[in-house]
Amino acid sequence: MTTRIHGAICIDGVGESEVRDVHFDGETICSAISPKRIDADYNLPNCIVVAGGIDVHTHIGGGKVNIARLLMPELVLHRPERERASWIAPLSSPVPSTIETGRRYLEMGYTACFEPAVLPANARHAHAEMADIPWLDTGGYLLLGNDRLLLEWIRDGVPQQQINDYVGWMVRTHQCCAVKVVNAGGIDAFKFNQRHMNVDDQHVYFGVTPRQILKSLSIAVEFLGLAHPLHVHCSNLGLAGNIAATMATIDAVEGRRLHLTHAQYHCYGTDGPHGYCSAAGVLADRVNANANLSIDIGQVQFGQTVTLSGDTMHQFANRGLARPRKAIFQDLECQAGCGVLPFRYRQEQYVHSLLWTIGIELFLRVKDPLRVFLTTDHPNGAPFTSYPHLIRLLMDYDFRMSIFSRLHPDVQKSSSLPSLTREYSVEEIIKMTRLGPARALGLNNRGSLTEGNLADLVVYEHSDNPEQMFSRPRMVFRRGELVYRDGVFIGDTIKSTIVAHIDVEAQMDTLLKRLWRTQYGYSTEMIAVRADELMSGSRMVEWTG
Amino acid sequence: MICPFCSLLCDADDLNEIQCDRRSSSLSLFELSQDTNKRLLPEADRLKSARESLRQAKRVLVAGRIASVATARAAIAFAAKFNATLDLAESGSVFRNVLAIQRVGIYSVSLAEARDHTDLFIVVGDDSIHQTVPRMPNALSRGASRKQTVLLLGTFSIAGVEVWRNAGFEVWSVQCDLNEVPKALSQWSKWSDDRKENTVQGTSMSGPLFHRLSNAGYTTVVWCSKNLPMEQADLWVERMIQWIAKRNEETRCAAIPWASFDGTFVQVCTWLTGFPGRVAFRNGAPEYDPQKFTYERWIEQTSMSRQVESVVVLIDETIAASSFFTPLEKQLLNCSTVIELTGNSELFPTSIAGLETGADMFRADQTLLAHVSPTSKREPFGKPASIWLQGLST
Repeated sequence: MTTRIHGAICIDGVGESEVRDVHFDGETICSAISPKRIDADYNLPNCIVVAGGIDVHTHIGGGKVNIARLLMPELVLHRPERERASWIAPLSSPVPSTIETGRRYLEMGYTACFEPAVLPANARHAHAEMADIPWLDTGGYLLLGNDRLLLEWIRDGVPQQQINDYVGWMVRTHQCCAVKVVNAGGIDAFKFNQRHMNVDDQHVYFGVTPRQILKSLSIAVEFLGLAHPLHVHCSNLGLAGNIAATMATIDAVEGRRLHLTHAQYHCYGTDGPHGYCSAAGVLADRVNANANLSIDIGQVQFGQTVTLSGDTMHQFANRGLARPRKAIFQDLECQAGCGVLPFRYRQEQYVHSLLWTIGIELFLRVKDPLRVFLTTDHPNGAPFTSYPHLIRLLMDYDFRMSIFSRLHPDVQKSSSLPSLTREYSVEEIIKMTRLGPARALGLNNRGSLTEGNLADLVVYEHSDNPEQMFSRPRMVFRRGELVYRDGVFIGDTIKSTIVAHIDVEAQMDTLLKRLWRTQYGYSTEMIAVRADELMSGSRMVEWTG
Repeated sequence: MICPFCSLLCDADDLNEIQCDRRSSSLSLFELSQDTNKRLLPEADRLKSARESLRQAKRVLVAGRIASVATARAAIAFAAKFNATLDLAESGSVFRNVLAIQRVGIYSVSLAEARDHTDLFIVVGDDSIHQTVPRMPNALSRGASRKQTVLLLGTFSIAGVEVWRNAGFEVWSVQCDLNEVPKALSQWSKWSDDRKENTVQGTSMSGPLFHRLSNAGYTTVVWCSKNLPMEQADLWVERMIQWIAKRNEETRCAAIPWASFDGTFVQVCTWLTGFPGRVAFRNGAPEYDPQKFTYERWIEQTSMSRQVESVVVLIDETIAASSFFTPLEKQLLNCSTVIELTGNSELFPTSIAGLETGADMFRADQTLLAHVSPTSKREPFGKPASIWLQGLST
């Protein structure tokens, strides 16, 4: 099947934004095709053509996601309420089913999404669940840094090479593409009833510090050549003054590449009328000055959602804030934990308003759109369906200020947001949601309209209202096939699981097979996910790195 | 190798070395089962006939025992296509936990975490827990080298106590009415060395035991919802959850609310529909009502309405000693067509998940999804239930 799109403006952040033809032959974008060979020809004036969107951090599969669904059946909307919305309807619940997740991402023009917290023991579940998300390529970041085996080894001062091999074995065995650390050491420390852990505090049992863990894991990620840097959820989530911990986290990796996730939750100072203030400028300055750093935001939007995190220590501390008043916490398999709390962000509440401004501030203060990614940490800050609204906030100063004027008065008095007059261009939005994430994840065949890339393409009709424009594309192509057109889902196509290509050291395999039964009471066969398990029918594995 | 006969999913180099009553009895049942060899009609004709019944049906129920992710997926797709009600055999015990969790949440712990980190287990119930999950004590014990304590609360026999002792635990056993357990635990929480009252009313809990309990660093409370005898057990579960939550204000404590095989179905149903089971499909979309969409109620309503165009699709891909429906339910089902996908089915013989065919199965704490490779050397008589369901849907 050969296709040509013409008459539309091509935008990808690599070449000039201009009206030009895009051709694809089968699954990939190609140079010009002879008119006689074109099977499908689309003339699309007043439209833009971009690559498929990539979400680097969205909770779409695995234990805690399913727990959130189970916890809140009463929050599922009835159909008529869903159908009333104008551009993009709200999700049927803060954490929708896999099928709805796939549909709604595709409806916004996204074609690849990454689950950022795959618990090793839960990896097969996460992959099985993501396999049931139609239309999206998926991948997972393996959660390390609270696994007791690693903490023991760091405490015992084993050679770094042993840790490198361990991390490689874990990523390969669980078929993930990156490594994430959540509150390094803190989740495990909470199991020993330690209620607080700063970057240089010692784990009450193992004696190791988050700084040691972060350094060790960042070295391992670099050694293994993983495309994505260590993906870090810092210590002290949500606490006033946590900007110090965030800076210390950056220092801990000693100049290696680092991705700070849902950065909005990690840049608070202690000034201001309620002992809580924005430190977005401090973090943005650091990011702007250091090319080894990237962030995603975790933007908050007002309304009901659910927060889910591996950071049991801080989720438990916030249990009193749950609305409705119920929560699930788990201590999991000597590896990590999770906390799931329903949460309602209200614009009349000082801290909630402040969080909203801090996220926007970060977006506006970080200069390079290839190193700041558009996320709401779905569903923690807001459901992913709020992306078009968020894009409008970034592209339209007056619209932004119209929301700002409704916030808590103390936030309006103290925030620097009014002075930030930057408005994102469409090109910058496309870089932030396509090219940047593709580069950050080593997806060399995605993110732009370059020849040879996968023909995962989206056509948006131009509108002066970016929220409307990005809410519903005219067309979405996946692997060169038209799968969505004018609100109608036409079909599905092949679906990839993205996995890092790592060779496992035989010695580590032998060692872990022996240790696993002692530590966990079962063999590694119980948890090892074979690549062929991820391949069936229209599913395939794609290797990175 | 992983044993597929209960939700504990024991893993051993040689499963034959595992001493387990449930495994032995399941294998015996399997050995006794044989191909009924009564399938006189060709497969295409059998499927055609069943499809015709489904096409004409005004009410469809999907029920039974599902152990694998593949069959759970297929059953949900099937139910969506035929606008069926979907409720499994052991949902009664599963929903004792689910209903309580949906009201107040929970603090729980997975199996290996509890095994590695817990210094005090509180196991609530009676000896029947050992029939449901015979090797639970072995799974929770780290062996004699690391002393762990278990407090058995309820009506455990001397033999029941020995099961835990043999697994390497220091055992305390306190006889008490299960209904009183949440209250007794609350009294323990308030206890201190200088209190005058040194016992909990109605139990034999006393000062030395309280002292041991109060010094626990990480307490894990275990119950098996299937084996709770009281009415409205979900309210009992809720009280236990609230006690655990309160205890976490000062120290660490968590639950293992053991359910059943249906955990695999609960997970898959939750990610595919948003609900953990007891769903009915209308125009292909799931509706959830844990009180209304039960198989018992479906049978009752169908019987009362004398609706002849009703079909029950009964799936069983496990080896179960007990039959699925009660005699009364069987009687009420006389007016429905039953399409049976079981090991003994004459029309749609179904292979045993994890024994005759490979299967992805959740361990009952639902943290770990294992791929269970088939260990039977016998050629399967039947096909996986998921394949039959797909055949019936086309």
